Amino acid sequence: MTVDTRPRAETRSLGRLMLMRAVTTLQALAFPVIATILAFSIGAVVILLSGQNPLEAYRALLRGGFGSMSAWGRTLLNATPLLLTGLAVAVPFRAGLFNIGGEGQLFIGAIAAAAVALLMPGPAPLVIIAAVVAATLGGLIWGGIPGALKSLGAHEVIVTIMLNFVAINLVYYLAQNPLSGEGQIPGTDMIGPEYRLAQFGAGLGRAHWGFALALVAALAAYLLIWRTTRGFAIRAVGLGPEAARYAGIPLGANGFLAIAVGGLFAGLGGGLEVLGVYGRVSVPFVTGLGFTGIGVALLGRNHPVGVVIGALFFGGLAAGAQEMQFSAGVPLDLADVLLAIVLLFVTATKLVELILGRRARSLAAGTKLEKGLAS
Amino acid sequence: MDPLADLGPILASTIRNTTPLAFAALGGMFSERSGVINIGLEGLMLISAFAGVVGSYASGSAWVGLLAAVGAGLAFALIHAVATITFEADQIISGAAINLLALGGTGFLMVEIFGAGGTTPRVNSFRPVAVPLLSDIPVIGPALFNQSLLVYLLYVLVPVCSLAVYRSRFGLRLRATGEVPEAVDTAGVSVPRMRYLGVGLSGVLSALGGAYLSMSLLSAFSENMTLGRGFIALAALIFGRWNPIGAFGAALLFGFAQAIVFRGTQDLIPQEFIQMFPYLLVIVALAGFGGRAIAPAAVGKPYRKE
Repeated sequence: MTVDTRPRAETRSLGRLMLMRAVTTLQALAFPVIATILAFSIGAVVILLSGQNPLEAYRALLRGGFGSMSAWGRTLLNATPLLLTGLAVAVPFRAGLFNIGGEGQLFIGAIAAAAVALLMPGPAPLVIIAAVVAATLGGLIWGGIPGALKSLGAHEVIVTIMLNFVAINLVYYLAQNPLSGEGQIPGTDMIGPEYRLAQFGAGLGRAHWGFALALVAALAAYLLIWRTTRGFAIRAVGLGPEAARYAGIPLGANGFLAIAVGGLFAGLGGGLEVLGVYGRVSVPFVTGLGFTGIGVALLGRNHPVGVVIGALFFGGLAAGAQEMQFSAGVPLDLADVLLAIVLLFVTATKLVELILGRRARSLAAGTKLEKGLAS
Repeated sequence: MDPLADLGPILASTIRNTTPLAFAALGGMFSERSGVINIGLEGLMLISAFAGVVGSYASGSAWVGLLAAVGAGLAFALIHAVATITFEADQIISGAAINLLALGGTGFLMVEIFGAGGTTPRVNSFRPVAVPLLSDIPVIGPALFNQSLLVYLLYVLVPVCSLAVYRSRFGLRLRATGEVPEAVDTAGVSVPRMRYLGVGLSGVLSALGGAYLSMSLLSAFSENMTLGRGFIALAALIFGRWNPIGAFGAALLFGFAQAIVFRGTQDLIPQEFIQMFPYLLVIVALAGFGGRAIAPAAVGKPYRKE
């Protein structure tokens, strides 16, 4: 951004400044929009090849995701955990760290919430609050592990990938042994109905107040990263660890905090899935939310507002895919394919350069980390 | 249970579990040695396992299936290569996308080709072949030398890959590309070309692992049948310090851990803890307990000519 700080600047008309601001915002959308258009174009070819009508399929997709109150209900239901696993990627990203561990952090949060709701006595509101706190703490601790190991030189990408599998196995062990339920399906017992989160009602189906909590989390992430000194330190470390170190801002503590807070968000997401949707941790439990969160964060350019939009987009995609399968005969799995193609293109710097010209290179900020793995 | 009577079956099971891991780990080794991290091994195996079954189903020949598997693995690896080398996309993201593309793509194609998800019909596959003389050795003979042809291919490929990486001009260039690409460029060797080769080889080798899953271990494809093996292969690669012999050794260790899960150890150690083992080992190795595991210096970074 080129902000003119000379005194002459004040003579610039307000309109011109607002125009510049608008252009910058539009440019920021270039990567996600191009990636999405490319993905849907390739998807259309795939649908054509499979003998269906892409327009009809996409119309069904749109209708199933956003076409009615009940469609919005499904979209909000899907978007709730995705918003949080998206934040789990976006916040550490600002410190230059890549958290692939949302999946595991979500699992830990889920079992923590289930354990509290199953075992803790007391009035329902208190138990729900305790369960939510337990989920965030579980995620915080699980996210803190790669943060702490980073200072020993263990790269967070590999550590978080590995910790996902550790967490999933650990949670499955807990859900089938100490916390095992009486039912036929393996996993914990159902939590009492009084401990479930209330639903919005108003024709929004099973969408629950966890979505509001997720929005609050996005606001908290925004305030932390852009409105606090600690957030400034986190962003400084992310933009240039060397320069930050010379300015007296170390990577260690700030990176640790960023990835642990990321874990907190994913853990909350897991807790809300138990309290708001499933009522228990089954074996197997819902998978893939952590990975979709990576797409949500990247599409939202790792900004909380973008993450909210990205979560609604992917939530709607998942909801619409059902309708697409039902009324247009296109297999549900196409949604995964579309997401994969978005992911392939969303960080492809050179591709956008080819389309928009060399000047576009600066637009890549916020979509990728220019660093190796051997640091 | 009699330990000696169990040794043969455990050994045979270890080899069967190791084979897909080792193929994919060797593949990942070529990619990462060239400077391109490949967390898409899982997806490369999955799409190849599927393509192998489709090829064998359509032609009735396991060999055609194998060819289809290798073609699919190569094609998906090239997607990763084009995205990361030519378009400079993030290597981690692209790898994750490859995994998702394979998962969604195989699910989609299963419905399109076989009419339903779940498991495909049985197809012709590679049956165990006893090696004359060697398979007569007590205990280890039947375990090591009464296996699928793909297992014997692995026995050959481990030393061949090691020689290729450490004793050939290609290997020298490949390793240099992953460590100091500038130097390779200065010497007049194309960095993108070496990286395309490395990533391409990861596709071919992972495809052999995928084909083994669907055309030796089983004779059909079922949804998400790789079940995280690509990530265990990644773990084997790192625990084996990016070295073919080391990666094979780590794959053997993890294969053994899986083998004993099935043989009545559940009462001693819960199955979930045995399954955690490879992943925990890698974390320990990366955190530097017992010597750091250090990746090739330029892995993960796009190379842009100045």
